[in-house]
Amino acid sequence: MDATRWERLQSLFHDAVDRPPAERARFLRAACPDDPAMVDEVLAAIAEDEQGDSLLDLGIEYAAERVTGATPERLREIGPYRLLRTIGEGGMGVVFLAERTDLGTSAAVKILRDAWLSPSRRQRFAAEQRTLARLNHPGIARLFDAGTLSDGTPWIVMEFVEGVPLTAHIQSRPFPVEARLRLFLAVCEAVQYAHRHLIVHRDLKPSNVLVTTDGAVKLLDFGIAKDIGEVRPGDAGQTIARLMTPAYAAPEQARGEAAGVQSDVYSLGVMLFELLTGVLPVAPQSRTATGVADLDVLCTTAMHPDLARRYASVEALARDVSHYLASEPLEARPDSLRYRAGKFVRRNRRPLAAAAAVIVAAVSLVAFYTLRLTDARNAALAEALRTRRIQSMMLALFNGGDAAAGPSEDLRVLTLVDRGLREAQGLTGEPRVQADMFDALGGIYQKLGNLPQAEKLLTDALDARRRLAGPASDDVAASLVALARLRVAQARFADAERLVRDALAIRRGRDAGPTPALADTTTALGEVMVEKGDYPAAIAVLEDVEAARAAEGDTPEHAASLRQLVNAYFYAGRLEDAQRVGRTTLEMTRRVHGARHPFVADDLINLGAVAHERGQYAEAEARYREALALNEGWYGAEHTRTASNLTMLGRTLVRQNRFDEGVEYLQRALAVQERVYGPVHPAVASAVNDLGSVALARKRLDDAAAAFSRMADIYRAVYAGKHYLIGIALSNLGSVAMERPDYARAESLYREAIAIFSDTQSPTHLNVGIARIKLGRALLRHGRLAEAEPELLAGMDILKTQTVPSVGWVKNAREDLVALYDRMKQPEKAAALRAQP
Amino acid sequence: MATHPSGGDGVPLERAALDDLFSAAYEELRRLASAVRRSDHGSTRSATTLVNEAWVKLASSPRFTAVSHLHFKRIAARAMRQVLIEAARRRHATKRGGGDIQFVTLDESAFGVGAGGADEILALETALAALAQVSPRQAEMVECRFFGGLDVVETAAVLDVSEATVQRDWRAAKAWLAKELRKSR
Repeated sequence: MDATRWERLQSLFHDAVDRPPAERARFLRAACPDDPAMVDEVLAAIAEDEQGDSLLDLGIEYAAERVTGATPERLREIGPYRLLRTIGEGGMGVVFLAERTDLGTSAAVKILRDAWLSPSRRQRFAAEQRTLARLNHPGIARLFDAGTLSDGTPWIVMEFVEGVPLTAHIQSRPFPVEARLRLFLAVCEAVQYAHRHLIVHRDLKPSNVLVTTDGAVKLLDFGIAKDIGEVRPGDAGQTIARLMTPAYAAPEQARGEAAGVQSDVYSLGVMLFELLTGVLPVAPQSRTATGVADLDVLCTTAMHPDLARRYASVEALARDVSHYLASEPLEARPDSLRYRAGKFVRRNRRPLAAAAAVIVAAVSLVAFYTLRLTDARNAALAEALRTRRIQSMMLALFNGGDAAAGPSEDLRVLTLVDRGLREAQGLTGEPRVQADMFDALGGIYQKLGNLPQAEKLLTDALDARRRLAGPASDDVAASLVALARLRVAQARFADAERLVRDALAIRRGRDAGPTPALADTTTALGEVMVEKGDYPAAIAVLEDVEAARAAEGDTPEHAASLRQLVNAYFYAGRLEDAQRVGRTTLEMTRRVHGARHPFVADDLINLGAVAHERGQYAEAEARYREALALNEGWYGAEHTRTASNLTMLGRTLVRQNRFDEGVEYLQRALAVQERVYGPVHPAVASAVNDLGSVALARKRLDDAAAAFSRMADIYRAVYAGKHYLIGIALSNLGSVAMERPDYARAESLYREAIAIFSDTQSPTHLNVGIARIKLGRALLRHGRLAEAEPELLAGMDILKTQTVPSVGWVKNAREDLVALYDRMKQPEKAAALRAQP
Repeated sequence: MATHPSGGDGVPLERAALDDLFSAAYEELRRLASAVRRSDHGSTRSATTLVNEAWVKLASSPRFTAVSHLHFKRIAARAMRQVLIEAARRRHATKRGGGDIQFVTLDESAFGVGAGGADEILALETALAALAQVSPRQAEMVECRFFGGLDVVETAAVLDVSEATVQRDWRAAKAWLAKELRKSR
């Protein structure tokens, strides 16, 4: 057919189609007498026009129906899995219940339907597989296997979760609000875990959260999940907007913008609302309908359309849920000062163990009372302040909670503290109250990491108190100790020691005989000595404190001085003493502060460190993990306390050759420490050291050398060239040199390390013993047998005199000596060593 | 897929945009098909079946802001055609054995429609290609009306012809194509 013929055909069609049927054939035959084919063709077309039942008339939906199917018909088995039945279908794929033919276990097999269709669908499916492979959490259905069929269709095998959707579970029986919230917290925890692994779920809704028969929560369907960092320009998530379930989608997702952590927060907020009320939030006003003011605040903050006012993380949301459960003030609603103060006062009857919100509460309280002071000049209230009830309560909170919740740049908290400071600065008519406030706020700024501001306030407080209360007053002594603690945080240890000793002199001059205040100040001295690295002195001071306090029984202060003693024993290498006193301290802390207090975590970490040093890695891991759960619950995942805990856990895992696990923890820790402390800080050095150790164990020598050099540089800068940790860095660098091998370099590094250990610890310290054995080996490898012998013997002697000898090092030394005597042709000495047990 | 629709009017579309479009077209096809299976005709038989929420969202995304709404529908119609044809080709190949290929597209038992449905769609594609040879404008019209769900007014605007022309041309083309399809059965 050509264009002319088609024109002719159409023209005939239109001319004939409106004629009566009987006339059509006659008309057409007359119009084209020589072309019977044309006549037939037009007649056939007219017949179709009249019937009107062709595919084109039915519509594209019928065409679609013919080529898209519901389930793959011929698919019966995939790898070792036999497909039993379809359990789900979505836009992307089909999910089957499957059975492993060899093991008989159940699994869920997901197949990408019509994989050919577009690369983006295949990529999305592959991304889900990668996502699941990275997630290993009891609250997330995990990936078992993956592959492709012969036609390229990808499939993944996942954990089969037998459960009901979260909302159905709640409706199945009466559920108190507390139980709902705890279930919700479990969901938050799984989502938080994903976020920590840099994965945003992006499609959180009740049907993706199943509750199993034993009540556990499982997150499903990471089909449209995404790497947090993976945002391509122009990829604003429009495809996702289409895939999301609208009711749970955050406004920014609905607009097709990139989804982040806070989009999951939003979805969780909707779910929380639904869990609490049984209905979805449909209009803004219905969003405040949980019947409980705090829960309204929670839901509203979680579902806030403005990202700046929505919870910044799932963690923050979960913290507030926990606050609600503990009758503590929420962190949300930072603008409502009176709300906080009121809540805080109401809560005052309860023990003052609070979560991270206490910092906000305490500051608000200061501001609250300060406001009333300035407003009313209420003498009675001023007197109440003078008794320092509030201040000491605040300090107890801070000391107890170390409540710098989250990273130091927590703006909301800082804003509040800044406001408190402005109020305090206005208190010029009440100079003593003002000095107390400066003192307290200085401590808060220190906890928040703003050391210059802390220094100014603490110095101002000290000056004011000297002027107002006299140079030898209790207030001045307290200020001196506060300033000393700041100097420790600034790593200015000599200044810190001088300040504490001044405070101690004031106390001794005022108090006849031992008093709790004197014991506290003495403990502060011990603490400074530990931080400074003068362990024998610290032990002497702290043992004195303990002797004076033995009769005191269970008090927070007693537990605190014991904790310092444990630290001192540990760093001095007296591991058995550290373990013994550490256990006592742990028990006392639990009695005094409760089982979930961060001090319990500190004690657990101390015991974990002791176990680690003694080579009891399984015990160390268990202690660290127990501590980690407490620290994460208290401080959140993005806090330096949590980070150093992660470092220690990572270290123990690495020692067990679980490198990948270990490195994951160590890198998380390093990132947090660098963010909070900057690049030159002992905490950063500690994390760097561990990554260096892993690199060394994996024979990545340049990486290891770079890490240990950075570590040494940091410690030199921080400790003015004199601290045993510099020796550790050098000794580690020596180990890298041994691997290269560069024995001359190893030798000089070990000698330098031994000098530092002998100087800062003692010539018979464990570290000296180990370093001498290492030196001996370097010399031996270098062929300098005569010089190697005394080092190995001395090192072995030092180790044998330890309360708990490090068996591995003794064994190393003995093997080296045997080799040495064999080469020196002294078989009798070698035999004697071999005969030793 | 042999070809991808261009943005036309000098507006090139990125590969990623096309991907999104094909994905969306596919899901739209599935949605339409399942509506038919549920015999929920009311929800689909409107003249503008393609204008659902997802398409609107996709159309308003930055990738397509350079094109007008109507133009987007035109592009979407072509994507729909290609996806449908590709699906039919796969189904057709499978019907004929397809070697040892396992497939995850089709359901032989679903709704009692065999691979004949796919053959008819392939026949439509052949006939449409023949039509494009003699009257490109009418072939486009079919694409707009049938695959894209554009109504007469929209189609007239897209092709820059009168509504009467659309009605007339569409009627003739549809009748002729239907005849070709019947021949292929």
